[in-house]
Amino acid sequence: MAGIIDRPRFGCALGGALGLLRAIPRAVPILHAPAGCGYSVYIGLNAGAGYYGGGYCGSTSAPSSNVVEKEAVFGGEERLREQIASTMEIMDGDLYVVLSSCMVEMIGDDIRSAARIFPGVLATPTPSFHGNSYHGYDLMLETLIRDYVPEQAGKKPRSVNVIGLVPGQDAFYKGNLREIKRLLALIGLKANTLIGEGESLEDIRRSAESELTLNLSDVYGSLSAEAFKEKHGIPWLRAPLPVGYLQTEKFLLTVGEYFGLDREMIDQALQREREVYFDYLERISDSYNDLDFQRYGLVVADANYAPAVTAFVAEELGWLPRLTVVTDPLTGEQRARLDSRFETFEPSIKPEVRYDGNASAVRRHLADTWERNRNQKYYEALSPLIVIGSYFEKDLAEQLKCSYLPLSFPVNSRVIFNRAYAGLSGGLTLAEDLFGAIIPGR
Amino acid sequence: MAGPAGGGQGGSEEMKNIIETAVPGREERLQAGTAFCGPCRELKKRLGMKNNGCLNQCGRRFSQTFGCQLTLSLGMLNSLRRTVVITHGPVGCGFWSLGGVASNRALKQLRDPGSGGLIWISSNLDEADVIGGGEDKLREAVIYADREFRPEAIVVASSCVPALIGDDVDSILEDMAASTAADLVAVNCEGFKTKLMATAYDAVYNGLLKGLTWARERESGLLPGRQADRFNQADLDGLVNVFNVGSMSRADEVEIERLLKALDLTVNFIPSYAEPNDFRKALEASLNVSVCGTHDDYYLTYVQDKFGIPCLIDTMPIGRKATARWLRKIAGHFKREAAAERLIAREDADLDRALRPYREYLRGKRAYVSGGEVRIFVTAEALRDLGLELAGLKAHHIDAFARPVFDDLDPGDDLYINVASQQPFEQANLIERFKPDVIVMHSGGGNITARHGRPVLPLFGQGNTYLGYAGLFEMACRLKRLLANYSFNRNMKKYRPLPYREEWYQKEPFAYIVDPGAGPAASVRADQAIAAGKETSGARDGMANSDHQF
Repeated sequence: MAGIIDRPRFGCALGGALGLLRAIPRAVPILHAPAGCGYSVYIGLNAGAGYYGGGYCGSTSAPSSNVVEKEAVFGGEERLREQIASTMEIMDGDLYVVLSSCMVEMIGDDIRSAARIFPGVLATPTPSFHGNSYHGYDLMLETLIRDYVPEQAGKKPRSVNVIGLVPGQDAFYKGNLREIKRLLALIGLKANTLIGEGESLEDIRRSAESELTLNLSDVYGSLSAEAFKEKHGIPWLRAPLPVGYLQTEKFLLTVGEYFGLDREMIDQALQREREVYFDYLERISDSYNDLDFQRYGLVVADANYAPAVTAFVAEELGWLPRLTVVTDPLTGEQRARLDSRFETFEPSIKPEVRYDGNASAVRRHLADTWERNRNQKYYEALSPLIVIGSYFEKDLAEQLKCSYLPLSFPVNSRVIFNRAYAGLSGGLTLAEDLFGAIIPGR
Repeated sequence: MAGPAGGGQGGSEEMKNIIETAVPGREERLQAGTAFCGPCRELKKRLGMKNNGCLNQCGRRFSQTFGCQLTLSLGMLNSLRRTVVITHGPVGCGFWSLGGVASNRALKQLRDPGSGGLIWISSNLDEADVIGGGEDKLREAVIYADREFRPEAIVVASSCVPALIGDDVDSILEDMAASTAADLVAVNCEGFKTKLMATAYDAVYNGLLKGLTWARERESGLLPGRQADRFNQADLDGLVNVFNVGSMSRADEVEIERLLKALDLTVNFIPSYAEPNDFRKALEASLNVSVCGTHDDYYLTYVQDKFGIPCLIDTMPIGRKATARWLRKIAGHFKREAAAERLIAREDADLDRALRPYREYLRGKRAYVSGGEVRIFVTAEALRDLGLELAGLKAHHIDAFARPVFDDLDPGDDLYINVASQQPFEQANLIERFKPDVIVMHSGGGNITARHGRPVLPLFGQGNTYLGYAGLFEMACRLKRLLANYSFNRNMKKYRPLPYREEWYQKEPFAYIVDPGAGPAASVRADQAIAAGKETSGARDGMANSDHQF
């Protein structure tokens, strides 16, 4: 059973589904919901995702049946059918998807059967009591894969679908997908990231011709990966979001191995990239060593970013991540999978890993992992420290008087467009931002 | 019907019989309407009829999301200092609160430098709770909030799910009152209850009355019978409560305070950004003044009946005309008319001089004004004072509180008014017809309105002054600035299309409004339009013959 949450870092299933539809050009959501659900989700998503915006027809433009007490008593399917019909008259879209709220699910409305009357209109039940934004992304993507993507007889060699980054919850999803696509191209793979730069519904429709689905997440996207497998016969591989050179190398070797690519060839492909990458990174080495830019780290992030960012600061920046708080509600199996990601750092640095989504709990976990100052004559403080987390950790960083970089949801204090933290260019950007956070306060 | 948290004796026994634990929707209480589109005179006619001409029965065959009782309640409640807000519902219902989290602390600190930021808790109801009830999680959340943060008040805002599963929040909080240090406030604001988002104001005040006003009244031993003496004393002190609204900035408050100080009055601002104790102080005031009738009548009339504190609900002090009217009403109550006239004359003269160059620049520019019913009418009047003309009006909803300001505004026979809570599709249709030079707009429609390629002046904002004389001057400066360069929105129009089909712009803007109370001719034409799904041949009277170029 899910417990109460002190300042949740995600919205509802509806929010995740809307976040994904926002990422698809000319997709039109049709909410079967009271008037507030759609706009409420937009408000949270817009600010939390570094000003994601309503897009083509989100925000207050999103069609919504705006059901009230009358429908709660008599049922709302008739109103929904009217709303779908009128939406098709007014809204100019290439894809129409009906999403549901808690209230209409509780009164027993069947949005799938209402949508079925309208050819081409999809439906995905997304009540909040079923799951959060991450789950809603997966439900929506699964519906697209099962009900929208046409089956393809043959597969295109060396083509891969990429899933697992949740638009909005990952404010950098689009930049990240651009980099992942570029990395895969380095080793001769053609990536279909479905919602990346320049991609459209046509790319989603063509996703059945891929040979493999890469899931960039240890936790999210499993329903969708399975749907590609069951419906379209596409196997899937888990290859977690890489950040920085070392993780990228591992990532490409994992994918390359699946395709039976020559290790030598992959290393060749990485040769130039390595040059570029370390040529940039080297710039900070003067100050790093003149001024001691090593830091202790506190990382507070979701299941995609927590292990990747912790590994990046440990393995590439030579920092000492002391505590990592993973903020998703996870099953035991998911936790075990994540735990293993923190056990293989080179050099063998092992941060304390806690699973807790409560905003005020972070301070407690930190106190648990470092000896308190009891006013002894000689006390080793957890300093210098950098807090890498969400907007919620801003106050904590201020109280600890340490550096701070917000990158996990919600990132209210930043405007994020095409910035990426994935891969090689993303690793450099993250290093820029981290050192940039240290310099003004050093 | 449950009583207030902590119960009460004596005078509060009587109140328990008056206040229900929840409020009716405003379509019921005030016959408020959310769907209309036609000339102003037609709307005035409807408002003059019995039950507002059944405007409350109007609806739409197509609608867009806009917000609900819960979201607007959170908008108010999240501003309270020394308070933790629990959103009782599934996790998504509190997602709204993320929107204001970054500015919350700074805005609170403008009132109290020691303030912390926003803390809210989700009771995170899941499928098991939907079947078994969410009451245990609510108790857990209340205890957690009390122990972890030691706030002065804990507010529980309930969403659709606990309402449907029948959680009795008032009773739970009543039971828990003895075990928490904080005062407990139950706000029953499930979204599906009403089309009128503004019902949230009633829901919030209902909660504050139950949880704070009653509790304070009990504690301080104030009883209705003893009020008269106190208020004579308070009259001398001249303490007035000004009921600020979420759309007022601190700068607006400073301007209001400046003007009332000139009348020798002292101001206490509640409810936005107040702390729980401010509601106790509020009971010592000699006059309650609303700045917007849409917000406060539920609380003000209740407090007037029960505590004998008179109230003033009239206009909103935006623009010279409305500000003068508002000041005169307050001055009249305190018999300080002469002082008010001196103040108004001086302010008018100063501002007139200052506005001269702006009026020259703005003369003849046409503005489309959309937002809350009272605010748009006074803003429209203010814009006229600056030399602009009106291209159209749009009100979130309409009810009797619009009357004084709507009647005051002479919009001309043909000016169109759209009553719609957001519904940017109707706005798009109207803007493409009326082609205003500037759009003055309530927040929430920015992304769609940008794509009309016109300058947008927000109807309100936390960083600006709109109220009083300072507000009018600032609006003039900003309009001049915004009109000087709106390339950003022009580019949006050029490169990011609106999501509506071409056919929609050919239809009448009211084509999707279902209006059982419309006159026979109009409703037949509207029905034909709906049935045919295309433009009606004869537009509703006033529209086809108007001067506007369609």
